[in-house]
Amino acid sequence: MMKKWFLAATMLVAAGVSASVANAESFKIGLSNGWVGSEWRTQMIEEAQAAAEAWKDKGVDVEVVVQSGNVDAQGQVGQVRNFINQGVDAIIIDPNSPSAFNPVFAQAKRRGIMVVATDAEVSSKDAIYVGIDQKQWAYQSAKWLAETLDGKGNVVTINGVAGNPANEMRVAGYKEAFEAHPDIKVLNEANANWDQAQGQQAMQNLLATYPDIQGVWVQDGMAAGAWRSIMAADKASQIAATGEIRKDFMVTWKENGLNSAASVNPPGVMASALNVAVMKMQGKEFKDGIFGGVYGNAIYIPIPFIDNSNLDEKLEEAKDKPGYWSVTDVVTPEEAEEFFK
Amino acid sequence: MKSILSAPKSGSTVSKRPVWLVAFGSLVALVLINWFLQPSFFDGMVMHSNLTTFLPLTLVAIGQTFVIMGGDIDLSVGSIAALVNVVTVTVIAMAGGDAASVPIGLLTGLVVGVLCGVFNGLLISYLRLQPMVATFGTGIIFSALALWVMPQAGLSVPEVYWMTYSDFVLGVPTVLWILIAGFLFVLFMQRRPFESHLKAVGGNRAGAFQSGINMSFVRLLSFALCGLFSGFAALCLTGETASGDPLIGQSLAMGSISAVVLGGTMLSGGVGGAIGSIFGALLLGMIGNVIFFAGLPFEFQTLVQGLIVLAALAGGVLVARK
Repeated sequence: MMKKWFLAATMLVAAGVSASVANAESFKIGLSNGWVGSEWRTQMIEEAQAAAEAWKDKGVDVEVVVQSGNVDAQGQVGQVRNFINQGVDAIIIDPNSPSAFNPVFAQAKRRGIMVVATDAEVSSKDAIYVGIDQKQWAYQSAKWLAETLDGKGNVVTINGVAGNPANEMRVAGYKEAFEAHPDIKVLNEANANWDQAQGQQAMQNLLATYPDIQGVWVQDGMAAGAWRSIMAADKASQIAATGEIRKDFMVTWKENGLNSAASVNPPGVMASALNVAVMKMQGKEFKDGIFGGVYGNAIYIPIPFIDNSNLDEKLEEAKDKPGYWSVTDVVTPEEAEEFFK
Repeated sequence: MKSILSAPKSGSTVSKRPVWLVAFGSLVALVLINWFLQPSFFDGMVMHSNLTTFLPLTLVAIGQTFVIMGGDIDLSVGSIAALVNVVTVTVIAMAGGDAASVPIGLLTGLVVGVLCGVFNGLLISYLRLQPMVATFGTGIIFSALALWVMPQAGLSVPEVYWMTYSDFVLGVPTVLWILIAGFLFVLFMQRRPFESHLKAVGGNRAGAFQSGINMSFVRLLSFALCGLFSGFAALCLTGETASGDPLIGQSLAMGSISAVVLGGTMLSGGVGGAIGSIFGALLLGMIGNVIFFAGLPFEFQTLVQGLIVLAALAGGVLVARK
C-alpha cells in the first residue's frame, strides 16, 4: 500500500516536472556590438550573458549569441542580418549609428523579431531603446560641479568625439546645468575623443592656458587622464573635477582625497535591455506613455551617482574585481515590472 | 583617348590557368562549410541578404583592381564612399526629399566619386606623388569633407530608394542585377585595349613607355574608374542604410586591397584581373559569416577572422609559386 502511494506520488512529481519542462519558455537573443577596444564593452556583454543565465532560475531558457567586432555601420548591419537569418527571437544592439539601421530593423520587425538598442539611441520606429539618458547623465554631474563651486567660478570642459550623437546630448546636458548658475563661466570646451591620453594632454594645455580654473567637467575615462594632469600641476586641492567609474580611478580618488563625483553609465545597460526584452517576449504589455526621448522610443533607466559620500561603498563593491572593472547597475526583472502594465 | 582605345593589343600574357582559380576554390569551400553550419544558407532570402552585405566591398574591389593592375594603390576608397554617401543624401534632401529628387542625388554622388578619383590620379600620375602616401592624404581630406557636409549621421532617403534597392526588379533581386552588371563590365573591360595597356604600365613601365602608351593618362583613368566604383558602392550603402553617415566605409580600403590580392592580382602590378577580385570580396564576406555561424566566443571572433584572412592570403601565394 505504502509502496503504491509512493509510486503514485513519484509519478505525480515526475509528471509535474516534465510538464514544467515542456512549458518552459525558451528564447534566442542576438547581442550585437560594433566596437571592441574598451573593457567597458566587454563587461557589458559579459553582464548580459550573466543576466540571460539568471533567467534559468525562473524557468526561462534564454540562449544568447554574440557578434562583436570592430565594424562600421554597414558591417554591423551585416551582423543584424546574420541574426535575422539565424531566426533569433530578439536582437539587442549597441549601435554604431543612430539612423543607418532603419531598413534592417524594419526587416527584423516584419519577421517578428524584437529589436532593442542600448547605450546609444536609434531613430528607428521599429526598435525601442533601453538605456540611460545621456543628457541627464551629463546634467547630474554638471549640477554637482556647479553646486560644489557654490555657483561661481571658472570651468573648462573636455568632451568626446565632436558629432557623435551621445556626445552632443551630453554637451546639451551640461550646458543646461551651467545655465542655471550665471556666475559659472565656461572658459573653454575641448575635444579629446574619449581617449585617456588625449584627455590628459588637453588638461595640461588648459591648465597652462588658464591659471585660474576652479572646475573641470570631463567625460568618462578621460577623467583619469585629466586628474593626472591636475595632480601633476599640484592643483588637486584647488580644483573640483568630475571623475569616472573604473576601479583604478576610484582607488586614486580615495587615496588622494580628490574633490570629485561621477555619473555612472553602467555597463549593465545591455543586461537591463535583455531583461526588458525577455519580459516583453513573455507577452507583457508596455505601460502607456512609457516611451520618451528624442525619437519617442526610449525607456530611460536610473543613472547611479558616485561622490565622496558613497565612494567607500562603491570601492567595497569593487573589492574582488580587476582594476578596469566599472561600477555597474542592472535593472532586474523585478525592477523592470514598473515598465509594464 | 581615341589613340589608346584603338591601339593594338599589347602586353597581354597568356597563362595556362586563370589567376582567380585559388580564390574561386576557397570560396566554394567556405560556401560548403557555411552551408554545413547554417543549413538554410541556400534559401533565397538568406542568399539575398548575404549578397546585400557583400556587394559594397565587391564593387570597391573591382575599382581597386584597375588601380593595382597599373602598379598603384588607392587607400582613399572608404573616404570616397563616405563622401559620396553624405553628398547623395544631402542633395536628395535639398532637392525636395521626394522620389523625383533621387536621380539627381545619385548622379551628383557618382560625379563626386569620379572627381575624387581624378584628383588622386592627377596627384599621382602627373605630380608623381607616391600613390600610398598621396591617397592616405586625400583619404583624410575626403573624410574631412564628408564631416563638413554632414557633421552627424542622419537624414533619411525617400522610401522608394531603399525599397527598390532591397526589393526585386523583374523577379530578380536588385542587388543581383548590380552584381551581374559588375561582372559584365569586368568582362567587357577585359576585351578593351585599356586593360592590357594598364597591365603593361603596371608590369613593365619601360616597355610600356617605349611602345608609346600614354602612361599618365592610363593611370589617371584607372583612378577615375576606382572613384566611380567607390561611388557605386556608396550608392549601395545608401540603399542599405537609408541614411547618411560620414563615418561609414572605414573598412573598405584594406578590405578591397585584401580582396584584390586574394583574387590573384599582384600588388606589384601587371598581373591579375577583376573577376578574381569579385571572388576575393565574396570570400572575405563569407569568412565573417562562417565565424559567426561556427559559434565562436565573442572574445576570439576578430582574432580568428584575422588568422583566416592571413591563411587565405598565404595559401594563394604558396599555390601561385608552384
